[in-house]
Amino acid sequence: MINKSYKLVTLAAFALAAFMFSFSDRTGQAISPGAVSAVAQQNQPRHPEAKSDSGNLVVQLCDGKTSMEIDGVREGEVLTPEKAREVAAKMMAAVAAEQSRQTSKWTERDRLTWEREQKRVIEEGDKLFHDWKALGGTIGISCDMCHPNASNTHAETYPKFQTQIKKVVSIREMINWCIENPMEGKPLPLDDPRLIAVEAYMAAQRKGVPLDPGKH
Amino acid sequence: MKTRFQKLKIFLIAVSLGSMILALAHDGSAVGQKFKPDLPPAIPADLWELLIPKDNPMTEAKVALGRDLYFDKRLSVDDTVSCATCHDPKTAFAQPTSVAEGVGGKKGARNSPTVLNAMFNVEQFWDGRAKSLEEQAKGPLINPIEMAMPSHEAVVAKVKKIPEYAKRFQAVFARPVNIDDLARAIAAFERTQLSGDSAFDRFNAGDRGALSEEAQRGFELFKGKGRCVTCHEFNASSPFFTDFKYHNIGIGMKASGNFEQLARQVQQMAQAGKLDADALDKLSLTEGFSELGRFLVTRQPKDVGAFKTPTLRDIELTAPYMHDGSMKTLRETIEFYNKGGEGNPNLDGGIRKLDLTEQEISDIEAYLKSLTSERVRRLTQGSSQFSVFSFQSSAVRKYSSVFQE
Repeated sequence: MINKSYKLVTLAAFALAAFMFSFSDRTGQAISPGAVSAVAQQNQPRHPEAKSDSGNLVVQLCDGKTSMEIDGVREGEVLTPEKAREVAAKMMAAVAAEQSRQTSKWTERDRLTWEREQKRVIEEGDKLFHDWKALGGTIGISCDMCHPNASNTHAETYPKFQTQIKKVVSIREMINWCIENPMEGKPLPLDDPRLIAVEAYMAAQRKGVPLDPGKH
Repeated sequence: MKTRFQKLKIFLIAVSLGSMILALAHDGSAVGQKFKPDLPPAIPADLWELLIPKDNPMTEAKVALGRDLYFDKRLSVDDTVSCATCHDPKTAFAQPTSVAEGVGGKKGARNSPTVLNAMFNVEQFWDGRAKSLEEQAKGPLINPIEMAMPSHEAVVAKVKKIPEYAKRFQAVFARPVNIDDLARAIAAFERTQLSGDSAFDRFNAGDRGALSEEAQRGFELFKGKGRCVTCHEFNASSPFFTDFKYHNIGIGMKASGNFEQLARQVQQMAQAGKLDADALDKLSLTEGFSELGRFLVTRQPKDVGAFKTPTLRDIELTAPYMHDGSMKTLRETIEFYNKGGEGNPNLDGGIRKLDLTEQEISDIEAYLKSLTSERVRRLTQGSSQFSVFSFQSSAVRKYSSVFQE
């Protein structure tokens, strides 16, 4: 009699982590053509090895996310043909059910639009960072004069307790502080596209730095 | 002894000849002068360039050929229907009937979508069954209720018999008439049909006076309470008012028909290998099956009754609305969304009751009416046919010389 109890384990997070790791692992060192395929293979995203605590056999699908623990079959044992077919059918049905719940998937066009928009807003922020008039300054001081290339702005440390304001603030509130003094302008609404652009530019300069809110 | 000027002249001639040869060697189908687009202000030039297929570069002669094919009724079985019949510049490249009407007044099952900005679509048709404009153009030619030619071979034979076309195909593509080049020429013409010079575009570029107070409130509702922008995506990088995706909002789901059974029939056809491109094209215009929408292409349960988000540009000029043309007015359409669409098991998760007031509905309507291209509006008012190509009066002159045969 086939044991019908099984568990579905979703390991999407592990798969994602493995995928990210494969990118961060690139050294950029020159390697001989012969070595390329070996290194590339080594850096391929790998499915995490699924094991059950109870020592039951775990079957993983090629999507790297869907796996099933088979009660009554120990690790190292071979499934009977009937059992194997049953397991495969159940797992494929689970994948189909998952797909049927998904609405729209991201497309190449989505990525294209996101990248273009991100770049556009960062470039807009770059301009504003060097333009005191556009941010409403009144005395000719612009952001870059104290923070060339957004240095010492540390976007990754916000929200944090800002000593001038004496409370935990978002980075936009801190930009507004600078707009008021030293730039001698008026603070902008916190959803003002200009503030968002400046924030995007500052954050872009710290891309890849781990988040460390509250750091001083 | 040659003067420096003469040397320079020889050098320049050599360089230009060399680059012409290189250009020809690069792609045999790109014979002639490169087409320089006169893009409306809202269309990003780099995106336009990026979406021109590598195997169908734009040349002036090709666009001119495509234009003439687009308007030529001889491409249909009884010389009565052209591309322009259902995608008429005078009605913003759409058709004012609820569903498209082909030869002998035969009715399809779907409303004609506009050709304007269609080059930016990720897929073509309401269900995305064609991957490109080229592929799309080949469908209606041989659909029995559209242009009804018996086969693509028959189209080619008919076009070949028109000496002028035979000559021009040879000049443009450097080979005899064939169906793929015919589709390429039509697609090239369609890539010149753009919309992006509306009152809203002027407003968005900084002219605050370009929109009424009402339309400005409508824009805020469009982005906020109305939730329109989620599917009718608009930003500087994708200013087309569509996410190019497929959503079930319940249109057509109320109509009689057992969708489960229809879907099963489609699955069986596919499994039996009977659902090729031609069969799919016919099925998509068959009452009942048509309402399965995107499912016909993907055969995934989530896509039953899902249709592509259409653009909202020039929407005032392209009534009636929805994939089946079942709504006569913009107001009726907004009211449909306001009540949360039509409930069905596959309703898109983003659809919900909106609680818009009568005034707010009017505001959104006013905003939608600000999305009409000035150029397209002039076309619908029956200006010169050459203005099909231009956004400014100077451009009318520029293109008129190109397209006069």
